[in-house]
Amino acid sequence: MPLRLIVRRLVMVLAVVWAAGTINFFIPRIAPKNPIAEKLTQMAGTSGVDPTKIKEMAEAFNVKFGLDKPLWQQYLTYLHDVFTLDFGQSITQYPVRVSTLIGGAMPWTIGLMATTTLIAFLLGTLLGAAAAWRRDSRILQVLSPLMMVFSAIPFYLIGLVLIYFFAAKLGWFPLSGGYGIISIPDWSWEFAVEVLYHSILPALSIIIASIGTWAIGMRGMMVTVEGEDYMTFAEAKGLRPGRLFLRYGMRNAVLPQITALALYFGQIVTGAVLVEIVFAYPGVGTLLLDSIKLYDFPTIYGIVFILTLTVALSMLVVDLIYPLLDPRVRVEA
Amino acid sequence: MTDRVVQIAEEADWGSLHGKLLACGRYLIRNPSLILGLALLLALALFTLLGRLMLDVKLAAPLSAPPAQPPGPGLPLGSDPQGRNLMAVMIEGTWLTIRTGVIAGGLGVIVGSAIGFISAYLGGFTDRAITWCVDVLLTVPAILFLVMISAVVQTGLTSIGMALIVAALAWRRPARQVRSQMLVMRSSGYVDMAKLSGLGPLRIIFFEIAPNLLPFLVSSFVTAVAAAILASVGLEAMGLGPQNEPTLGMTIFWIMEFSAFLRGLWWWILPPVGILIVLFVGLYLVNAGLDELANPRLRRRA
Amino acid sequence: MEATPPMEAGTIDARTIDAKTPTPATTKPLLAVRDLSIDFYTATKVVHAVRGVSFDVAAGERVGLVGESGSGKTTTALALMRMIKPPGIVTGGLAQLGDIDLLALHGRQIREARLRHVSYVPQGAMNALNPVLRIGEQILDGVADHGVRLTRAEQKTLVATVLESVGLPQAIALRYPHQLSGGMKQRACIAIAIALNPSLIIADEPTSALDVITQRQVMKTLTSVQERMGCGLILIGHDMGLMAQVADRMIVMQDGLIAEDAPVRRLFRQPAHSYSRMLIDSVPSLGERRQPAAAAVAADETGAAAETPLLAFDAVGKTFGGGLLGGPPKVALAPCSFLLESAAPRIVAVVGQSGSGKTTMARMILGFETPTTGSVRYRGRDLAHLPPDAARQFRREVQAVFQDPYGSFNPFYKVDRTLAQPLVSFGLARGRKAIYARMEEACAAVGLKAGEILGRFPHELSGGQRQRLMVARALLLKPRLIVADEPVSMVDASLRMSILANMQDLRTKHGISVVYITHDLATAYHVADYVLVLHEGHLVEAGPPEEVIEHPAHPYTRSLVGAIPWPDPDRRWSELDPDLRASWSAPPVIRGAITGFHLRAAGKLDIRAGNPYPQPENSPVFRGRNKNCSRRHAKTGRSTNAYD
Repeated sequence: MPLRLIVRRLVMVLAVVWAAGTINFFIPRIAPKNPIAEKLTQMAGTSGVDPTKIKEMAEAFNVKFGLDKPLWQQYLTYLHDVFTLDFGQSITQYPVRVSTLIGGAMPWTIGLMATTTLIAFLLGTLLGAAAAWRRDSRILQVLSPLMMVFSAIPFYLIGLVLIYFFAAKLGWFPLSGGYGIISIPDWSWEFAVEVLYHSILPALSIIIASIGTWAIGMRGMMVTVEGEDYMTFAEAKGLRPGRLFLRYGMRNAVLPQITALALYFGQIVTGAVLVEIVFAYPGVGTLLLDSIKLYDFPTIYGIVFILTLTVALSMLVVDLIYPLLDPRVRVEA
Repeated sequence: MTDRVVQIAEEADWGSLHGKLLACGRYLIRNPSLILGLALLLALALFTLLGRLMLDVKLAAPLSAPPAQPPGPGLPLGSDPQGRNLMAVMIEGTWLTIRTGVIAGGLGVIVGSAIGFISAYLGGFTDRAITWCVDVLLTVPAILFLVMISAVVQTGLTSIGMALIVAALAWRRPARQVRSQMLVMRSSGYVDMAKLSGLGPLRIIFFEIAPNLLPFLVSSFVTAVAAAILASVGLEAMGLGPQNEPTLGMTIFWIMEFSAFLRGLWWWILPPVGILIVLFVGLYLVNAGLDELANPRLRRRA
Repeated sequence: MEATPPMEAGTIDARTIDAKTPTPATTKPLLAVRDLSIDFYTATKVVHAVRGVSFDVAAGERVGLVGESGSGKTTTALALMRMIKPPGIVTGGLAQLGDIDLLALHGRQIREARLRHVSYVPQGAMNALNPVLRIGEQILDGVADHGVRLTRAEQKTLVATVLESVGLPQAIALRYPHQLSGGMKQRACIAIAIALNPSLIIADEPTSALDVITQRQVMKTLTSVQERMGCGLILIGHDMGLMAQVADRMIVMQDGLIAEDAPVRRLFRQPAHSYSRMLIDSVPSLGERRQPAAAAVAADETGAAAETPLLAFDAVGKTFGGGLLGGPPKVALAPCSFLLESAAPRIVAVVGQSGSGKTTMARMILGFETPTTGSVRYRGRDLAHLPPDAARQFRREVQAVFQDPYGSFNPFYKVDRTLAQPLVSFGLARGRKAIYARMEEACAAVGLKAGEILGRFPHELSGGQRQRLMVARALLLKPRLIVADEPVSMVDASLRMSILANMQDLRTKHGISVVYITHDLATAYHVADYVLVLHEGHLVEAGPPEEVIEHPAHPYTRSLVGAIPWPDPDRRWSELDPDLRASWSAPPVIRGAITGFHLRAAGKLDIRAGNPYPQPENSPVFRGRNKNCSRRHAKTGRSTNAYD
């Protein structure tokens, strides 16, 4: 892989992180009122919270955000914090650090997203390739448009439909959550099965909705590849159909799919966040929803930032893998 | 020897009305997604427009009906636990959601085309800088930033405000697409020819390039509307929408907030989900149809 | 090289076959095609693409299958490969190859017959190899899929053998296609096709994307391989010149029928069918220039023409890239100088392969690109700083006809607009009636019927009509100079000559100078008064066409001229293949001069002094690569050819 390309991608990731951080910094400051101060006043007004604790929190946040210092200094401090992944403490669960909260939820989200994306990518790519290849197959010709229509529907709406039928009506699956209400998370076999059981519907809603996206892309590419001269020549060589399909057709058609994968990460994260909310799945999405409801701004900033970082890093990984698949991008003498 | 070409069906002749109809009809049969998509969108438009005539949308406010009633006389879709007439909610919600999408998508396409256009026109460093910024912003998951914005301005948000927030990031994709189209057309033979015919840069842009950009902008608009609806409904489902307006997204939020599944209020759940699905699928099909119209290769292979 | 050389070696077996003129019945042919018919279905009609075609191919015979696009030649070949796809369908016929009827095979047999019995060398060498597989793998996978089990060592030997037989080194096996040049790719395709020793090779325009020098090499490779293997060869193409060089027998197809099937010499000498005659006549051949060249004059006479030249290149050069991020700079055109007077209209051909800088030169003449060094002068003034009224005059006086006659029309408008636009914006005609009168007049001048053309959209016209309309458009403005950038490379052969005739009319009837940009020396030979040959951005040779093409002096021009496929079976490529590549970067050879156009290799033209030909100062390095050979070589009017 050409060094120039790697450097460019790294600069891109840094720029994304910087942009995300900067937007995070300025949005609350442009706002007419200080959301955190407001939230604290609101909490002070409601009974049951120890006034001394509130004062302590207010001071902690003032120090944290350096609200007494000039704006540029606040900005630099902020950038430093962001690059060290220090988002301060949660308001609602004070004094728990935001990074601890996110760290607890992140494995759930990453696990759900990574598995479903992988499965959907593989199935969708295969389906799309097969639909382009076997234009005489009835099943494929019905299945693939159906999947493509599903791709237009947001993940969480499919999630709602699945919950309605398979959890509420049929009762085959739990309505929500990542594990049973009475279970205590541990590393036991039983707990693993429970987690798997709870993740089926959320995973299914993501997979159903995203297979079509990959199938559309792959079908289009495969049709293009079929029109290429090398496919004509390969056919004239009398190759076995299997080799023609895999080594000549799919092998070339899949390359743009990999690039598309990198571009879709943002959408996948967005979709997954909403699916978690619909299923009350204990990942970052649900944490985000709770933070929104309780105006826990440090946590909201932290989540937005971490998810952006995840997207940027995933794209980087794809970019680094790509040259292994395409000899044309490899370093030239 | 036989003739080389044998007619087996009537050729559509653009000269006559009959021929035009024949050609259009044949084309639409080859491009069913366009018809189906348009039909779905038309059905939704009729539903919300006729519905507003037949039912007072004020009934979409809480306490206008007995709470949590199943469908029955006077309440065709029942009511929710806060006493909203759900039929009225669906009529008004569809209207608000589509309006948000059209405003945000429209703004996105207008602003985005302007940016893409300026970028391609100026070229050089400005172009590279703008393109790079757009690329960086495209990497950022839009909805997360919209979450930030709407979380900050949340109180007193209206559905129009919602549209403006969504528009804040809706310009990125059109900007990029318009730029690349402009670049393609700028180096086309007919632009060179127009230069030779003594046309100035402005006339070339407005009379040579713009008309060819038009079909492309239509498709870009449909995509932008779909994306804007997706974003706004997503935000609302997180509770970040206009609290006092019965948009479809807010309805989804209330459904989850009031545990409609546990309480078995199916008449509350299914209509908004169904309408949203019809809306998204309709937009998708129209876009796929337009794609086929614009891209001759797909057309030939279909 | 002589204009009419004696018959050369290497055409011997062609002669023997000619002498025999085998009738299909006497000997059993290798391939016997009988009554082959192919239909294509569209929504509204059935097209009988191939209608009862019968022909034979003998073992060791090279058969050329020619015709224009849509004649059914490729469809016929694909049918033999059994690669006709719906909506096409083979409706009948027989293709007996040895003991098997290719058209009767089914299932696995079809796949197995390919490569083992019939091989196919595809069109478009640039894209015919799988970009993600190494060449070696692409040779071996076809072999493996025909059930041939080989050990590692045998595989290596096989790959080395087939690569060697097409003149490629063994190391190529480990390369990916993008690491090879176009000619190497096409030879790799031939290597793949011969891996299983087929008895018939079908080559479908195998050199269509290659320049003439590479074309010659690839064709030589193909024919030598075929001779060694003794197999039959069907060569599909539209280039009569190439066919004359390669084929033993030719089958001319038109509208899905065979118009003529004859030995190549007989076909070229006495074509029986009018269509064959038309195809032959549409290709320019050597030794019969269709127009007298403008009288050559001695250098000192030109000094008398003291008017300000219409257009001058003053040490104009163009470099792309460079700078901070642009990568290494690429010289598109090394500095060169010439001037063109408007008093004596001339056709100046600029000949070069892709990447030679000829299009860059055209775009700089038109003011579409600004030179990196030097200046383009229009009537004595720098094009970059023209005052508005002079700029308008320049636009009107310097017009163009481009390569792609479809892309030159805005698809949104009817073609009328493209014609009317310049009339309106330059104020040449007022009122609808006057404009239409002018447009009709211009159409007539290029042989188009205005009634059939005006009021239509560009896609409703044929390529030839569109291109002629572009010439008509240029004519409307009564320009002084027209830049024609490959005006015939995208139109069918039968229309080429009439469009070129249109261009000659521009000079003779309308008094317009033409800069004719082309890759094709043969057409340049026929239409031009003066020829410039460019190679990789550098001028290598210039002079009147008789000199440059009949007696090329520069090594590159000699390679180029030696590779022209003249449409004459008796003037075949010389067997000798002197590799002049090493000396292509030799200094330019400039011979002869004509009134109206003056060339200087480099340096400044002193226009104001009234003498366009000052004594060349010690030549500023003309070719970047040969810093050491800066010598006075560009003295006008005298041949300074170091290779005579």
